[in-house]
Amino acid sequence: MKILVLNCGSSSIKYQLFEMGEKKVMVKGIIEKIGLKGSYMEYEKEGSPEVIFEGDILDHQGGIEYILGVMISEKHGCIKNLDEINAIGHRVAHGGEKFTESVFIDSEVKKDIDKASELAPLHNPPNLKGILAMDALLPKVPQVAVFDTAFHQTMPDKAFMYAAPYTLYKKYGIRRYGFHGTSYRFVAQRACESLGVAIDSQKIVACHLGNGASITAIKHGKSVDTSMGLTPVEGLMMGTRTGDLDLGVLLFLMEKEEIGIDASRTLINKHSGMLGISGVSSDMREIEIAVEQGNERARIGLDMYAYRIKKYIGAYAAAMGGIDVLIFTGGIGENDDIVRRLATEELEYLGIVIDHTKNNGLRKREANIHADNSKVKVMVIPTDEEFVIAQDTLNIVNSL
Amino acid sequence: MKEKIVEQIENYALSKKERPKVQFAQIGVVGAGTTGQRIILMIATKGIEVIFLDLSQEKIDQTYREMAEELDSRIEHWGMTSGDKRAVLSRIKGTTEYKDFKDCDLVIESILSKVREFSVEIRKNIFKKIEEVVGRHAIIATNSTTTVITELSSELVHKDRCVSLHFSTTAPGANVVEVVRGLHTTEDICDGINKFTTLIDKIPISVDESPGLISVRLFVALIGEACDVLMEGVASKENIDLTMKNGLGLPLGPFEMADKIGLDKVVRWMDNLHKEFGDLKYKPSPLIKKLVRANRLGRKSGKGFYSYDDHGNKVIEKVKTSSCN
Repeated sequence: MKILVLNCGSSSIKYQLFEMGEKKVMVKGIIEKIGLKGSYMEYEKEGSPEVIFEGDILDHQGGIEYILGVMISEKHGCIKNLDEINAIGHRVAHGGEKFTESVFIDSEVKKDIDKASELAPLHNPPNLKGILAMDALLPKVPQVAVFDTAFHQTMPDKAFMYAAPYTLYKKYGIRRYGFHGTSYRFVAQRACESLGVAIDSQKIVACHLGNGASITAIKHGKSVDTSMGLTPVEGLMMGTRTGDLDLGVLLFLMEKEEIGIDASRTLINKHSGMLGISGVSSDMREIEIAVEQGNERARIGLDMYAYRIKKYIGAYAAAMGGIDVLIFTGGIGENDDIVRRLATEELEYLGIVIDHTKNNGLRKREANIHADNSKVKVMVIPTDEEFVIAQDTLNIVNSL
Repeated sequence: MKEKIVEQIENYALSKKERPKVQFAQIGVVGAGTTGQRIILMIATKGIEVIFLDLSQEKIDQTYREMAEELDSRIEHWGMTSGDKRAVLSRIKGTTEYKDFKDCDLVIESILSKVREFSVEIRKNIFKKIEEVVGRHAIIATNSTTTVITELSSELVHKDRCVSLHFSTTAPGANVVEVVRGLHTTEDICDGINKFTTLIDKIPISVDESPGLISVRLFVALIGEACDVLMEGVASKENIDLTMKNGLGLPLGPFEMADKIGLDKVVRWMDNLHKEFGDLKYKPSPLIKKLVRANRLGRKSGKGFYSYDDHGNKVIEKVKTSSCN
């Protein structure tokens, strides 16, 4: 069965075509600058050189038409005709409180995704555009929505509520939703498979450390708390986002710096985090080089970054009444041995002991990095959200 | 390095029907004074390419410098990052030749004009030059509020393509655009303009053809009255501004706003509206005229009703907030 996975952003579309029988990616790529001058499409087919297609790409539907057009072309194609595509899986950012799992997309689901746009105004509308475009182009092919927030819908109210007036929760849905859900579901399952343990017996803390970073407490296979909130700015320190910040600081700055909502949004999302503290970069590799060269602000940034992860590990161990598995994933989690080391230092009392020979230099590869005497299993698991979307799509389509 | 092949995407369209080009991919702006620059940055910030025309290469270089300074100030005030600044400036190109507007879907005239009668002729001429080089679909607009669009379009071959497009650039975060259709403007052109304003995240406000539109006509009446209140000794300028800000919730008081707009521009607005309507309420206040004669033009010259430092920040003078003590 061939499944096309789409992740539509405001001016981009990421795509992958999976052959599920062979668990193989046939083609993948991205379209950038939709509706803008200089739009292009990157296209990678297994065993062939990468191709860049340049030209006007007017909208999402036009972009998807080109993706399909190239896939069935003689020169670069990987399928003979569009009938070979059996299903389409869409990544959808926000499912609100309605969606607790992936769903087959019908007209009601489309309405609900549209309704959740209020909570994710930058992400849900383009997701929906992708769905509508496929409706028009391949109307007979089933589509499935996989929500970034769905995995966290198992959180108890004590974890997802904010201590703001309850009426605002009812009025606007102000609460913690969390993100990276697809990634957490994948790495938690994968870790338990690899360890040969039942997921419903495990207390897992998983750190998704990428450009955006979050951490989740997964008890017996269910998310019970996560660090990102209504928006992806809460929680851990990130490349350019503040993470947790005293609300009073923002109010103080708005008054002192005489800035409005737009500049405040830019301040907490783009000027802060590692970039804001170090003044060097938002890229952890550059930060670590600067630390080696004695840059004091870079050192503070790195220490803060790791310290916040450590605080959350402790908090989530407390929330779950213990911890059995600690997982690192995402670009930094998978590649950065320094962050993994700093974030787990002095956690022996919790039963977390890293084997530095296993940790040092480990990049982009699944491995256990705990010492033999570590009570807690510590693992690095490369995430694969697109595969989860394809897998969910397959399961739902098979059950139709 | 990994091998990469570059091809044209048009050859791979699913349907063979001819695809429309991306509309509003490139916008032209004639004149890059204070307002022109704000318009250029407003559009380029939204990811659209802008070509601006100015009188000489020196002027173009100066415009680049001033826009870079403006963006630096936004970075300093957390409004954008240095990466954003590079991206915005890379979308802006200066030229001295009209022919470079040939691929523009919309060209906005935003020149500085001192005398109304003269300015109408200059603007008409600019419209004609634009029409000579752009495609049939292109829209030609003026940012002028006190000139009538039907008059400006009167000598064009295709009069239907003209609109007046007044951007509110004075208040930070303002996102309305007053859109005026002339006598000949077609529904298609209005739809196109609505599409463009939505593309740059602005709200189009449809206005009937009338000098001063909404914003200028009401502001001119306000500043005129504020000057009268000041001249009659009813209250100090600081207290008038404070009352309007604090009491009525305006972001800037009338004098602060006039300084920000530029007092020379305010006088021109008043002159134009006074001539157009003949109503004394629009007559330029002698107080503002006096300041303009002394080259106290507001923020841009460092002095107007108030004094400003090199960064355009108001120099706080000791203010007496009450006359009762």
